[in-house]
Amino acid sequence: MGTTRMDRRLFLKAAGATAGAVATVQVGCLKYFKKGRSSAADNREVPTTCELCPNKCSAIAVVEGGFVKKLNPNPENPKSRDMLCARGNAAIKQVYDPDRLKQPMIRVGARGEGKWKPVSWDEAFDFAAKKLSEVKEKHGPEASLWSSTEGFQEVFFKNLGLAFGSPNLVRHPTLCLASVNLAYSATFGTVPSFDLLNSKFVIMSGANRFESIITPDTMDLIGSVMERKAKLVYLDPRFTVTAAKADEWYPIKPGTDLAFILAMIHVIIKENRHSKDFVTAYTTGFDQLTEHVKQYTPEWAEKETEIPAADIVRIAREFSDAAPRALYYAGRRSSWYQNDFQMRRAQAILNAIVGNWDQLGGMVPNAKLPKGEFLFMPWDEPKAARVDEIEKHFPLAAKGDGVYLKLRENVLSGKPYPVKAWMVYKQDPMNAMPDQAKTLKMIEQMDFIGVIDIHMSDMAWYADVVFPESTYLERTDPVEVMPGIWPAVVYRQQVVKPIHDTKPNLEIVQGLAKRLGLSDYFDYTIEQWVEAEFKELPIPMAADHMKKHGVWAASGQPSFGKTLNPDHRFVTKTGKIELFSERLQEAGYDALPVYSAPVPPPNDRFRLILGRVGYFTHGNQSNNVWLNEFMKENDLWINPKPAERLGIKDGAYVNVTSSVGSVKLKVRVTEEIRPDCVFMLHGFGKKSKMQSLVYNVGASDAVILETAWDKVSGNAAFHETFVKVANA
Amino acid sequence: MAMKKRRYALVIDSRKCINCKACVVACKAENDVPVGNFRNWINEDRQGEYPKLRIDFEPEQCHHCESPSCARVCPTGATWQRKDGIVLVNYDECIGCRYCMIACPYDARYFHEESGTVHKCTLCNHRVDRGDVPACVETCPSKVRIFGDLEDPASRIHELLATRRYHVKEPQTGNGPQLYYLL
Repeated sequence: MGTTRMDRRLFLKAAGATAGAVATVQVGCLKYFKKGRSSAADNREVPTTCELCPNKCSAIAVVEGGFVKKLNPNPENPKSRDMLCARGNAAIKQVYDPDRLKQPMIRVGARGEGKWKPVSWDEAFDFAAKKLSEVKEKHGPEASLWSSTEGFQEVFFKNLGLAFGSPNLVRHPTLCLASVNLAYSATFGTVPSFDLLNSKFVIMSGANRFESIITPDTMDLIGSVMERKAKLVYLDPRFTVTAAKADEWYPIKPGTDLAFILAMIHVIIKENRHSKDFVTAYTTGFDQLTEHVKQYTPEWAEKETEIPAADIVRIAREFSDAAPRALYYAGRRSSWYQNDFQMRRAQAILNAIVGNWDQLGGMVPNAKLPKGEFLFMPWDEPKAARVDEIEKHFPLAAKGDGVYLKLRENVLSGKPYPVKAWMVYKQDPMNAMPDQAKTLKMIEQMDFIGVIDIHMSDMAWYADVVFPESTYLERTDPVEVMPGIWPAVVYRQQVVKPIHDTKPNLEIVQGLAKRLGLSDYFDYTIEQWVEAEFKELPIPMAADHMKKHGVWAASGQPSFGKTLNPDHRFVTKTGKIELFSERLQEAGYDALPVYSAPVPPPNDRFRLILGRVGYFTHGNQSNNVWLNEFMKENDLWINPKPAERLGIKDGAYVNVTSSVGSVKLKVRVTEEIRPDCVFMLHGFGKKSKMQSLVYNVGASDAVILETAWDKVSGNAAFHETFVKVANA
Repeated sequence: MAMKKRRYALVIDSRKCINCKACVVACKAENDVPVGNFRNWINEDRQGEYPKLRIDFEPEQCHHCESPSCARVCPTGATWQRKDGIVLVNYDECIGCRYCMIACPYDARYFHEESGTVHKCTLCNHRVDRGDVPACVETCPSKVRIFGDLEDPASRIHELLATRRYHVKEPQTGNGPQLYYLL
């Protein structure tokens, strides 16, 4: 070829024209998986959508000799920014993982003993349907619990739960980002995106964006910060990669972020630095806010946060100077403290008063793209009220998602009614929920547990029947609209046929529905479902386009300011951006964020904080052989000062004990953490022997985390546990 | 058609590296690198005392040197260099003596147990030859590595090296490494 580097788009075109011609001969580990080979001459490139985390990046699967050989980023998706992270690249090892669930299995020993009998799909379906029917007959359909995490095929699972008659669907948000969603919704009537590509000043509270990868935020921010287009101020008790890249890092006293934000609002209003025009035109409650924040001086905040008052004042000034291209970034997995909702509310208010709403470099309401919907037969609404009593305890929370920890409390107490069957899709409540001993008690009292997953999670390990789902590279899934500043429609199509006796979730749901007498509600194929969705995409030959490209994004630049006209009504009670919220007041909450200081750890204890690294974010990734190489065992970070005081040496093992459990961890004595905190990584210490790389290696945070939740959203508060650390 | 002279190299903007390991896993898949071996890696330098701290990350792989010591010591000529600068191992001629592993100043090579030969980064020559960039370059979330032809005055790497300060690792070896780290 005459050129040294061809444009990737051009290359794809060329590769499409000469399909298969680019195959190269390679020897290597794939040959151990001859079983998965469809045909030696099977060489293709198939665009699809990654499933290793919720970002849904577009990828192109390279099939060589019938194997998925490589996943390349697909540059056509503006949200995924032409990249694929370590997890995305390692998805191949999900398919060819020797630990995978390869056929349906029914438990034969005691729960958790790990004795299984491989069974046919018919046997597995019959068994589960019988058990579910028994529970329904004895206790009513509401005695069944349907747990799931997000994913393109989650909809079928949820629909099965509803068609079965249970109101008790419980989803991941209250273990993740319910507080941030609720706080921004309460203020703006929607949860916006953050334009980190164009922002000039960004503040992050613990949102460790350079290790917890979110597209396009991570890529946009690293570019802006490193090219000196943006300034990043970062608050975190731990020196993370984000801290290392930030212009300023403050090891804030844990749980005091709200004080910092309130003091910033105080400075901005006192110095008249807010956007008067914007506040007048679009917000309500500014006078109450002004009065409310008078008490929150920078000097007061310094005592709470340990961030010098002079810095708070300076940051507030720099932030408002940079506005509207200034952001207090919301982050995800916002489940930290019991005041989480109000802390996120304060961020939203701060963002609002500097007028960064719907502006270049500010917060932007998500643009959406249209798609069709498959119309299926509707069922009667479940009659019973939810077992978590969400309307009574969390009137503002998302009803369809439920509140995980309150739900567990109620199931354990048997009030308001007993729950005896637990169906789980693609989730591991054993490790996702704090206080594993309590989850085990909940498991003990179930008459039946069925789990659908691609691998033997700890939850599956305690199930009565396990339904193996095909991995994403072996399935075709519903079409998804990814809203955002750069919205896209993404499609996941089957790359290779299932290499084991597995099924996509829809077919598992249909197998169960048939035996539960619910077939009418699931009388369709994935092809019909997807076809209906394609139909209303506003592009010609939509189905062909999506199959060929895997993604469709509206062309052109993002638009800003659509909601900035005086007639725009925000989806709030007043139709304005609510700085002061009557709705919160009526529900019995603080209408403006009120600070209360966190309880400090007793002298002999540390606050346990959690986090992620770029290559493990979700619990099962530590058992991926290509990711496990980077970290074989999680450890406990402790500052040298307390380590010396306790006689703890780097590399030694310690017992880490809370009021609910104790784990043994290797110690990492490091300067990179506050002396009053210790840190451990999520995703190790598995009980399932079919997580062979991490079975009994390191420890699970769920064992020692105590049960606590944010008062408004019900979001689990993961940073409210104090632990004792002692040499093992 | 007269062949234009080419010299492939990588410019690396380490400050943008977030140690996410995407490049390492992409290389594993692309080049069938066995578990336990690596053709590329990320160096970490952690310094300071709480709260005055810093961490620097620095991706590294074969430097595809101008005058590669690995090729000089190879008794069979298995390690060779293409005209465009890419240093490769001809596995048919490699006898697995591993002199090259000792001679490499960057420890960029590993012994491939299954084949009994020495492997290392090929700059994804199979991708480059079909007009694509190496897997590590393409997959990177923050686009830390920039791949290109130093002989092409219009290339991005040419421009970067002409306008930015940079360094190479271990220049004293006389190997003439071709991984350029921006300062």
